[in-house]
Amino acid sequence: MRNILTDRDFRAGFTEMMPANLGLTPFGLVCGVGAAAAGTNLLGALGMSAIIFSGAAQVLAIQLLSAGAPLAVIVLTCFVAGLRFLMYSAAMAPYLRPLPPRWQRALAFLLTDQAFAASIRRFDAGGHPREGAMHFLGGGLALWSWWQVTNAVGFFAGNLIPPSWSLDFTVPLCFVGLLVPVLRTSPALIAALVAGVAVILLDGLPMRLNLIAAGLAGIAAGTVVDTMEARWKRR
Amino acid sequence: METTLKIWAMILIVGALNFVSRLSFIAFFARREMPILLARALKFVPAAMLTALIVPMIVLPGDSASPETLPRMAAAIVAAVVAWRLRSPLGAIVVGMVALWIGKAIMPV
Repeated sequence: MRNILTDRDFRAGFTEMMPANLGLTPFGLVCGVGAAAAGTNLLGALGMSAIIFSGAAQVLAIQLLSAGAPLAVIVLTCFVAGLRFLMYSAAMAPYLRPLPPRWQRALAFLLTDQAFAASIRRFDAGGHPREGAMHFLGGGLALWSWWQVTNAVGFFAGNLIPPSWSLDFTVPLCFVGLLVPVLRTSPALIAALVAGVAVILLDGLPMRLNLIAAGLAGIAAGTVVDTMEARWKRR
Repeated sequence: METTLKIWAMILIVGALNFVSRLSFIAFFARREMPILLARALKFVPAAMLTALIVPMIVLPGDSASPETLPRMAAAIVAAVVAWRLRSPLGAIVVGMVALWIGKAIMPV
């Protein structure tokens, strides 16, 4: 444990997650407020943030719980909202392959939108797989710990922030900070463009399936452009 | 008491399903070769999925059409430029928020 905490890459991953933590703070507060409003006790609220550990799923679960939805409906809806984790898992798989199963399971538990985006960049930058894994662990733990704090504060303090401040906007802004460095190649730009248009066009899909459908459309578009580019260069 | 039971059943089932989703392909491809086309496609997961997550939060905030859409779009573009030029995620959040507040103040809603 001691050599994990003093590890250079662990510390770098931990520190680099701070802006994302700041951006996600209003989201964590909202989750805590919602949990309290839905009638859970502190243990239930922290159970959600610590075990489910997904803002989108927590918000859906809280809404459905308050509306008196059956357990099966809540479970199915949250599962659909978490389908993107399948994609993150697949994209992470080649990088985590050299690691022992114990590490794969630990990092999978910490696999969120932010940890995924941050650590895949670190893995792409090269180096030993252990360095990337340490960076991932640092970032993932930073996010997990702060998520518990923000959820608990939201649970106790309630809606302290006036809605007119629009602080919920820090959530997309923290994603923008993660997205922009990814858009270095034209296929990546096309993938983003197609996904962005598709998510609006498919807004009518139930259970927010437009997210996953738009993601798949963007990935397909990026892959096609990438393949075409590779052929052009070969000529 | 019944509510508590339901909440904990939900936490454990949803938590388990989330973990299974997160581990799925990491475990699957730990012992198998990944097809080349799939590996090529997966390079675009970050660009496509992050955009799919961001755009609805900017263009379709909340459940109803929001008068904030225009200032939000403008602020997101400003934040993207800051993230690109200064390579600072923190700068993007701070400048983006300030841009949104200015936008809301000057744009008639």
